[in-house]
Amino acid sequence: MLSIKDLHVSVEGKDILKGLNLEVKPGEVHAIMGPNGSGKSTMAHILAGRDGYELIKGSILYQDQDLFDLSVEERAQRGIFLAMQYPVELPGVNNMTFLKESMNSIRRVNGQDELDAVAFMKLVKEKAALVELPEKLLKRDVNSGFSGGEKKRNEILQMALLEPKLGILDETDSGLDIDALRVVANGVNALRSPQRSMIVVTHYQRLLDYIKPDVVHVLANGRIVRSGGHSLALELEEKGYGWILEEDAA
Amino acid sequence: MNSSIIGQDWFQNTLLSNQPEIEKSKVLAVNNIQAKARNQLKHLVMPNRKQETWRYTDLNSLYEKMFKLNDRKTIDAIDVDEWIFPEQESYRLVMVNGRFNPQLSSLEGLSDRIIISAFSQLSAELQFDAARILQTINSFESDAFAQMNRSLFSDGFYIHVPKNTWIEKPIEIAYVNHSSDDQVLSQPSSLIILENDAQAKVVERYMSLDEAEYFFNGTSDIVLKKNAHLKHYRIQQESHNAYHLSRVALKQKNGSIYKNVNLALGGCWSRMDIQTAFEGQQASCDLQGVYTVRDQQYNDIHIDVKHQQPNCTSQEKFRGIIHGKGRAVFDGRILVSKDAQKTDAQLSNKNLLLVDDAEINTKPQLEIYADDVKCSHGTTVGKINPEHMFYLRARGIPEDQAYRMLCLGFAEQVLEAIEDKPIQNYIHGLLSNLL
Repeated sequence: MLSIKDLHVSVEGKDILKGLNLEVKPGEVHAIMGPNGSGKSTMAHILAGRDGYELIKGSILYQDQDLFDLSVEERAQRGIFLAMQYPVELPGVNNMTFLKESMNSIRRVNGQDELDAVAFMKLVKEKAALVELPEKLLKRDVNSGFSGGEKKRNEILQMALLEPKLGILDETDSGLDIDALRVVANGVNALRSPQRSMIVVTHYQRLLDYIKPDVVHVLANGRIVRSGGHSLALELEEKGYGWILEEDAA
Repeated sequence: MNSSIIGQDWFQNTLLSNQPEIEKSKVLAVNNIQAKARNQLKHLVMPNRKQETWRYTDLNSLYEKMFKLNDRKTIDAIDVDEWIFPEQESYRLVMVNGRFNPQLSSLEGLSDRIIISAFSQLSAELQFDAARILQTINSFESDAFAQMNRSLFSDGFYIHVPKNTWIEKPIEIAYVNHSSDDQVLSQPSSLIILENDAQAKVVERYMSLDEAEYFFNGTSDIVLKKNAHLKHYRIQQESHNAYHLSRVALKQKNGSIYKNVNLALGGCWSRMDIQTAFEGQQASCDLQGVYTVRDQQYNDIHIDVKHQQPNCTSQEKFRGIIHGKGRAVFDGRILVSKDAQKTDAQLSNKNLLLVDDAEINTKPQLEIYADDVKCSHGTTVGKINPEHMFYLRARGIPEDQAYRMLCLGFAEQVLEAIEDKPIQNYIHGLLSNLL
């Protein structure tokens, strides 16, 4: 599915990723944990194609294709989905119109028929119920006046509609209370399948109680310094990141 | 030669070359209007850039051209295939190259208590009534283009809604132009009067069937009596080669409500002037609009809201989408005089700049002489937020479509207030095609 090799990336002349390696196979859920500023979000952004990052060296293959050959929208059309840490508000752009346009853009390039208004409405209501997003928010402008939790649920709603091959959750748990966290995690779990891979970027272990990862990685100083099972996340919860950073420095 | 002389010469030549056409009018009411305006013009100079309200306006390109009133006796056999409302569900008035076109107009089912008519189709008695009202209102008294409109007065529309009458069907007025032998001077004047407690909905569209070059110089006078309620949509979708100048003068009595939306899209040179005055309390005036600017286009909105009575509300909300290297002007003035306590007046003008090197002159002016008022104004010029673009593209939406969605979203801040779905849909379509 995804193969990142020796990835070096800088932002405004500052090195952020310094030799990142990651292999994700179909159906796997990988958690990326790490202290603030370790490069977790940079990695998520690079995968989605956000600009402002300079590739120094290294490669990313997605479904055996060089990811850097694809534009932002092409990546989305081929199944990469980034649930944003800070979903932007789009004043004047109706949420329903946006969801429909997004879905149909992806269907068009993949040779599928566009959904008509009735079929789309049925589908979107079904998925909105899954993430417990009030229907009235579908009629509003995208994310405008949404609470933090509603914005995150709207992200997961989009993921549920677009059914990506690779879902990347960028600190989706940040700012959520326990109820919202549970709803978001249920939404994500409903999407788990043997064909769909996920990368869950998080600072806290709590989300991983709800979304059980296959592999946990610790990203520090721009590299993955340790990988393990769910128990690694629990260990980090208990001891913090300090000991790993020390071991890595030694 | 300085521009004030150029303007005077241009006007004299225009008057001279159209003299035979004007003299044909045997209608005393029309002659009176023309004569009064010509008299007024003796004290006016044609606009030039030394005048404050015209300083951003390039008039020379207009003054280089000669325009002639349409003198054709026959009615143009044209077809307007694009209407906002179906024929059965609206009243239609059509003017082609400045002449009333009865074939394309339709007023079926109209009660004879209500007047919806071309000026030229009215009885002599009603023509005198309308002419008298126009002369009493005497709007844009010191605007030479407005007086030019009157001095070459040929036709226009008269809408009179008696008291306590609600016209449920919208009145769709189309000012249509198309290429002809001359560059046409189109100068309609319309007069809309809503008596006490009357309601109506009027859509004025300024359009062209081809890329004709012409000068549209029109005035709409509106009087809203007590508790009258008018929705007034104006859609300027002229040809790319057109010169468009249109004015609205509004007078509002107690408790009247005016809701107005302006779309200024077409023309190579376009200016809209709106002047409103409250003549009673508890009245509200809502002026909104969207203008766009493409390469080499000049688009200008001038608004003058006068609060002379207490307890009135006004809102001006305009959005500009500058997608080419042209020029936009927004000049919005609110005057609150000493006695206009408890005035609520809001003005907002935001511009979305999609290219470099375009020019935007935005000039909000609040003049407040009362001490117990709620007034605000704000103007901005911004670009498309790259974060917004990224968000849409990251959901698979192609770049050009994402760009269009964000531009429409920007305009939506105005368009969402339109309560009439067919109009809203029509405008959405116009903007989508344009951007």
